[in-house]
Amino acid sequence: MKKSFLMGVAVAALFAGAASAADLKFAPGQDAKFNWKSYDEFKAAHADLKGQPLTIFGPWRGEDEAFFQSVLAYFTEATGIDVKYSSSENYEQQIVIDTQAGSPPNIAVLPQPGLLADLASKGFLTPLGDDNSKWIKDNYGAGDSWVGYGTYKGKDGKEAFYAFPYKADVKSLVWYVPENFEEAGYKIPTTMEELHALTDQIVKDGGVPWCIGLGSGGATGWPATDWVEDLMLRMQPPEAYDKWTTNELKFTDPAVVAAIDEFGKFAKNAKYVDGGVAAVASTDFRDSPKGLFAVPPKCYMHHQASFIPSFFPEGTKLGQDADFFYMPTFASHPELGKPVLGAGTLVSIAKDSKTARAFIDFLKTPIAHEVWMAQSSFLTPYKGVSTEAYANPQMKKEGEILTSATTFRFDGSDLMPGKIGAGAFWTGMVDFVGGKSAEEAAGEIQSAWDGIK
Amino acid sequence: MLSQIVSALGVVVGAVIACSAYFYFSNKILDLALPVKDGDIRAASRNLNRRALVRPWLFIGPALFLLIVYLVYPVVATFILSFYDRTGLQFVGLANYKWAIGDREFRQSIFNNILWLAVVPAACTFFGLVIAVMTDRIWWGNIAKSIVFMPMAISFVGASVIWKFIYEYRGGNDVQIGLLNAIVQTFGGTPEVWISIPFWNNFFLMIILIWIQTGFAMVILSAALRGIPEETIEAAVIDGANGWQIFWRIMVPQVWGSIAVVWTTITILVLKVFDIVLTMTNGQWQTMVLANLMFDWMFRGGGDSGRSAVIAIIIMLAVTPIMVWNVRRANRELKGH
Repeated sequence: MKKSFLMGVAVAALFAGAASAADLKFAPGQDAKFNWKSYDEFKAAHADLKGQPLTIFGPWRGEDEAFFQSVLAYFTEATGIDVKYSSSENYEQQIVIDTQAGSPPNIAVLPQPGLLADLASKGFLTPLGDDNSKWIKDNYGAGDSWVGYGTYKGKDGKEAFYAFPYKADVKSLVWYVPENFEEAGYKIPTTMEELHALTDQIVKDGGVPWCIGLGSGGATGWPATDWVEDLMLRMQPPEAYDKWTTNELKFTDPAVVAAIDEFGKFAKNAKYVDGGVAAVASTDFRDSPKGLFAVPPKCYMHHQASFIPSFFPEGTKLGQDADFFYMPTFASHPELGKPVLGAGTLVSIAKDSKTARAFIDFLKTPIAHEVWMAQSSFLTPYKGVSTEAYANPQMKKEGEILTSATTFRFDGSDLMPGKIGAGAFWTGMVDFVGGKSAEEAAGEIQSAWDGIK
Repeated sequence: MLSQIVSALGVVVGAVIACSAYFYFSNKILDLALPVKDGDIRAASRNLNRRALVRPWLFIGPALFLLIVYLVYPVVATFILSFYDRTGLQFVGLANYKWAIGDREFRQSIFNNILWLAVVPAACTFFGLVIAVMTDRIWWGNIAKSIVFMPMAISFVGASVIWKFIYEYRGGNDVQIGLLNAIVQTFGGTPEVWISIPFWNNFFLMIILIWIQTGFAMVILSAALRGIPEETIEAAVIDGANGWQIFWRIMVPQVWGSIAVVWTTITILVLKVFDIVLTMTNGQWQTMVLANLMFDWMFRGGGDSGRSAVIAIIIMLAVTPIMVWNVRRANRELKGH
């Protein structure tokens, strides 16, 4: 009796699993904000792959995994391909182990261009072909930049396009409370000069302009690296930024020191930051934005990436209680355009197959982006998607920053070797805010970098 | 959660059964292989002797095997790795050792470790001894002892989190929620970001370990003090010694052995200190210590097995003499009894 009951439960669970996999979140052809035409075309073109296997390995777990599964459901529905998605807590190590052991997944999704370049140089990845790189170039905002992050040297030493960008994050954002700005009569700055003027104006009016918190336990210092990277892109051409992340341009270079000093103008001025300079390094980055919502406001602006609303006080309505603007550029550097700092995941083929190619083709359909966009936590630089599909106006605005960017650059500290990007750079920024000069701090980071060469 | 409990239980039960089975059956096989029959007395006594020779090795074997696999082999492998580059493939000779001598962070770690060694064992032993002596005289001594001992039950990370709140700093005119800053503010001082004051922040971290380990020192020394014969103290009192003299001239010399045990145990612990620094600062603001530096090189940023192996070897070299001395002293004491 008991045994048959358990069997019944197991069978029911099996069916429940199967049923939810075939469940499409948004019924095809119904909602006009989705591009169903692209879906139907994709379906017609890939009908011959029914039942064939495809394995995907990626970084998404928990909530994100559920979102990705909902996207995969459309892929399965259209092609009949038998998709298996897996992930690991230590996905960076896992993919290295899997590829070296000779049992790679068909598709590997990773957020680190450096790691992908490493895999490509050992011959573990298959080039995606020039038509795909051309497609990215034509269809993505700042397409050239994205092609760059997917292009690596292979085992033969030749450069090829290996990684297809899918899902992005934006970091060049300044968060504020619209109500506070309205009451004080402040306007959103459109240039860095205006941002400086606004900062001074707030001080003159008796307020504190910025909340800056670098605290993050053992990772204390990283929010400052985002600041410096953002400023670097606004003061130097993207080529200099690229050289900086590989140390061709040394940390002690005047260009880098100037960017650090520019950050210091905000963070090392006791009148500019809530709690004074001493609070900058010790305030936890998760607590830092709370000053925006204090009454009276403890600060008016907060520079942070698109993820930060999850640390806003409960019940904060985005767009109404809190909003953001694009971290402006210098009017004195019009030639640098509109650079955007961010991050993203890149899709590559580790074991070639028809199904893997079909999956890359699937990512080119707007529907593969729109389904996730419509749920949450997904931004895309793909210009062909309907931005109406974004779950809320804030995400739509963030998405538009990506599609209208002239330059996109990956978080520099993620591109540097771990000892620097997740170590010396952090410590250097903590020391800088703690009183060292930009030259001294940069010198120490550089000597750490020299130490690992 | 449930599945973890079930698997943990399974491991515990399974391991106990497997161990008992090993001892039982290996013993049985030995008995069968070297039979003792009634008929042939000489063969029987020979077999008995052989059994006695083999049996200890049979029983000690698994432990010896595990010791080699989990202790000796890693030490040898680490030593070899310390002569190779970051990937462990390219022989680089003494380059990693040369790097260590020249590295600013490494020297900082050595300096901080020496600081820890100088302060923590001494402070723990001193406070432990003083508390042990004082609590012997008062009626609520046992309650006081329990309270002092309680931090021993808290993990290092847990203790660090508690002390994080004591050192917490709030900027500007905010209400200080950190105990230390709240006290400072009440007495009209300016609140400080304690853990970011170079050099002194080392001491703020040490206090955490002292807070945890004093209880250990107190318990051991308290037991040792009980072992002092009443007559010697009585004799000293009759001879007119004051409390201070009794403590330093009578009590301390008699518990000297226990003090040495406590001191060396805590010294070895301090050389391995890791969790507190990781939780509080992760080596920032110049609080890096050797164990954290090793972890940093090995697990953050790709992993440099060569350099982290060098640091591991240095920690081991520092611990070894204290261990050897401790074991020898313990042996000597055992022989004396």
